Amino acid sequence: MEKSVLTKASHDTSPTGFTPVRIEVEGLRQSFGKFPALNGVSLAIEPGELLALLGPSGSGKTTLLRAIAGLATPDDGRILFQGEEANRLSLRERRVGFVFQQYALFRHMTVFDNIAFGLRVRPRKLRPKKSDIATRVQHLLKLVQLDDLGSRFPSQLSGGQRQRVALARALAIEPRVLLLDEPFGALDAKVRKELRHWLRGLHNETGLTTIFVTHDQEEALELADRVVIMREGVIEQIGKPADIYDHPATPFVCEFLGNIIKVNTTIVDGLAPALGKSFAPVGDASKGPAVAYVRNHDVDVLPDGSEGAAAKLLSTRTFGGSLALEFDVAGFAAPVEIHIPRMSDAPVAFTAGALYRLKARKAYVFSGR
Amino acid sequence: MSVSDNPVSETSFVRRALVTFVYGWLVLFLILPLVVVFVEALRQGIEPFFAALIEPDALTAIKLTLLVSAIAVPANLIFGLAASWAIAKFQFRGRNMLITLIDLPFSVSPVISGLVFVLLYGANGLFGQFLITHKLQIIFAVPGIVLATIFVTFPFVARQLIPLMQAQGNDEEEAALSLGATGFRTFLSVTLPNIKWALFYGVLLCNARAMGEFGAVSVVSGHIRGYTNTMPLHVEILYNEYNFVAAFAVASLLALLALVTLVLKSLLEWRDARNGKISAH
Amino acid sequence: MAAASLPGKFLNRAPSIIPGFGLTMGITVSWLSFIVLLPLVALVLRATGIGFEGFAAMLGDQRVLSALKLSFGAALAGALINAFAGLIIAWVLVRYTFPGRRLVDGLIDLPFALPTAVSGLALAALYAPNGWLGVPLAELGIKVAFTPTGVVIACMFIGLPFVVRQVQPVLGDVDKALEEAAATLGATRVQTIFRVILPMILPALLAGFALAFARAVGEYGSIIFIAGNLPFKSEIAPLLIIIKLEEFNYEGATAIAVIMLLLSFAVLLAVNLLQSWGRRRTGLGS
Repeated sequence: MEKSVLTKASHDTSPTGFTPVRIEVEGLRQSFGKFPALNGVSLAIEPGELLALLGPSGSGKTTLLRAIAGLATPDDGRILFQGEEANRLSLRERRVGFVFQQYALFRHMTVFDNIAFGLRVRPRKLRPKKSDIATRVQHLLKLVQLDDLGSRFPSQLSGGQRQRVALARALAIEPRVLLLDEPFGALDAKVRKELRHWLRGLHNETGLTTIFVTHDQEEALELADRVVIMREGVIEQIGKPADIYDHPATPFVCEFLGNIIKVNTTIVDGLAPALGKSFAPVGDASKGPAVAYVRNHDVDVLPDGSEGAAAKLLSTRTFGGSLALEFDVAGFAAPVEIHIPRMSDAPVAFTAGALYRLKARKAYVFSGR
Repeated sequence: MSVSDNPVSETSFVRRALVTFVYGWLVLFLILPLVVVFVEALRQGIEPFFAALIEPDALTAIKLTLLVSAIAVPANLIFGLAASWAIAKFQFRGRNMLITLIDLPFSVSPVISGLVFVLLYGANGLFGQFLITHKLQIIFAVPGIVLATIFVTFPFVARQLIPLMQAQGNDEEEAALSLGATGFRTFLSVTLPNIKWALFYGVLLCNARAMGEFGAVSVVSGHIRGYTNTMPLHVEILYNEYNFVAAFAVASLLALLALVTLVLKSLLEWRDARNGKISAH
Repeated sequence: MAAASLPGKFLNRAPSIIPGFGLTMGITVSWLSFIVLLPLVALVLRATGIGFEGFAAMLGDQRVLSALKLSFGAALAGALINAFAGLIIAWVLVRYTFPGRRLVDGLIDLPFALPTAVSGLALAALYAPNGWLGVPLAELGIKVAFTPTGVVIACMFIGLPFVVRQVQPVLGDVDKALEEAAATLGATRVQTIFRVILPMILPALLAGFALAFARAVGEYGSIIFIAGNLPFKSEIAPLLIIIKLEEFNYEGATAIAVIMLLLSFAVLLAVNLLQSWGRRRTGLGS
């Protein structure tokens, strides 16, 4: 990312820059008919934080985002912007920058007019002069690296460019918070990666409190300062990406973060065996049935005769820098897939049909089935 | 500024006002005209109503109307099928031009639609001399009425089928042909089932217009009572004779036809909408 | 089928394994020629025989001029009113749920389905001096039957479905997120409607307006009963064509018809140009 364009520039031309705002959500409830989309959600977002709302579809993440934006009115609960209750504010007074999933650009307006829209619809008293609007839009165009495309129409832009126009349009109203609904959902893999880095850079520059919704755990873990994992209208876990990854709080979080092997086991004397090793459970259960979650790449493959669970290799396949091994393990209905780094001279030769031992390095054990 | 329940809808006051406006407009400009036809027809009770319908001239008019639509509708059905097959299944230069020409009768005044046939087949027309020497009469006779009716209903079937068949593409037909079906067999068992409802819809609209056409038919018919009078023309004659009950009685039959057409059309559309919803899931 | 297979080569057809091109194209072209093209050729031939003087004489005739003025003026007025009412009706049908919505939706097409003579009769009965609407309007000092106002009412009746049916699907396709975007950017509801939604449905509204206008200009059956057909006052151009024909004045009838066709084509062309200009300007796909 190039050096700041907006922060400096906007200080030159406009009296108001971006002021990061603290957002609090208290006991938010909303249902659509009988379906509860939000079931008592409370959350505090620090000023300038980049927060990801992560969850499967129907988890309530988009409903939460729309409630913060004021696009949906919750049945119960409060939303505070810097301590001020936002429920009573109109959308105009709320000043949220919202980037829609399909961008919702105005097709009949140029890129320039799209970005200027929020300034032009202000009441006359608050509306900047025409020339000021033009300078502001030019700065924003520069910020999103679309300097020369102001006179284009959205239909003449690529997906990534449209996304950036939507962002510039949202920033034009000098929002107190930036909200993005599945910001990369409609883009192909390569553009998606690029924009992710670019968005991170933009966030560092503007310092805006930013919340984005995603169902892609990789995206959330890579981009966000903190991640909120949601499920069926409630928050499962909040934390820094590394914390969530290293210390998943619930079986759901384990499964949602993906690439796991589920092992049915039993806790005896505070320890549960899983794939050749015993692990202490999360929480304080000392006995009873439990499930252990082992990540595919947290398993060592050892030669037959070593300590560990006996396994017969079914097949191998490579993807990128990893090797995926499929084993038939006693007690497992389906083949177990293990990922190990692919090295030019592997210490063990992998032959289909041969016997090996599997030994987990790490597992998350939750009591109950 | 107050906060409404939904930031992207009008306030409930505005919504109610607009719905009221729509109902008011509809009652005033659509429902009242429909109702008045039946009320006027039954003004003197049920007997004069039926008397007006079974009177010989009325019966001839009804028969002629049925005859005309019995010729015009199948003619345009065959044309519509042929045209949509040629236009939707093949790529060739001049396709859009052809579609424009097929649509042309829609943008011509009915009176002018009648006029062109008078200019062609009338005593003074292009083929007038030829027809007189061969003792053939088209204008002021049934053939003229049929021709004018075919002209004004020309686009109905084709216009329903072309976009649908274009959207459906050639895949299924090509599959059937590659499996060894003949062209005609392919049409009957692959194409026709796919377009049958649109075809029915087109025929429905075509028939409603064929039976109700007034302007074009009025020009070519000559209004010969008991001979070249269709139902709409008969309505006019009765009205001009101040025989209002009879005029409205015949008109109410035509209005009934329109209502049946509307009901069938709505049923077809609801069916489509429901199927659309099911297939969207 | 030698003759029928000719168009295949003639029209530069792309190769296809689908059979029947020659047959169906043959039917299409011959039927089209017989029913549509041949009669129009007769009109053109007859028109060329009239000459410039003939047309000038027609346009110099006060009665013809006032009939043309009435047909085009009333059609324009009717289409404008329909553009307004049709937009609101389409809006309500697409956006709101209310009791009887389906019924209203189905009823919109009544003017399409009702034979024009019947609607003409019905309107005449309603607005006659002793009619259901004629009486209260007369009390307000408004006379509809046998006046140009009556012609406008008839044009409104027959043109309404064109506007509603053009606008309805386009309005239904407008993404709700666009309105939400405008709202989050601080636009009021009125600003959102006028700056975001209306510009998007304007092409459809124009198309509906053009169709309603074209239909009303040539309309005959719905109008003549309510118009009363007083020369110079409430006599429409199509009726004048019929009158000329009844006088065996084929030249006069043809001249009026050609003038009408040219004028309506000019209006439709203008609307088309306006639409494509708008499309180019906004980069919207067709």
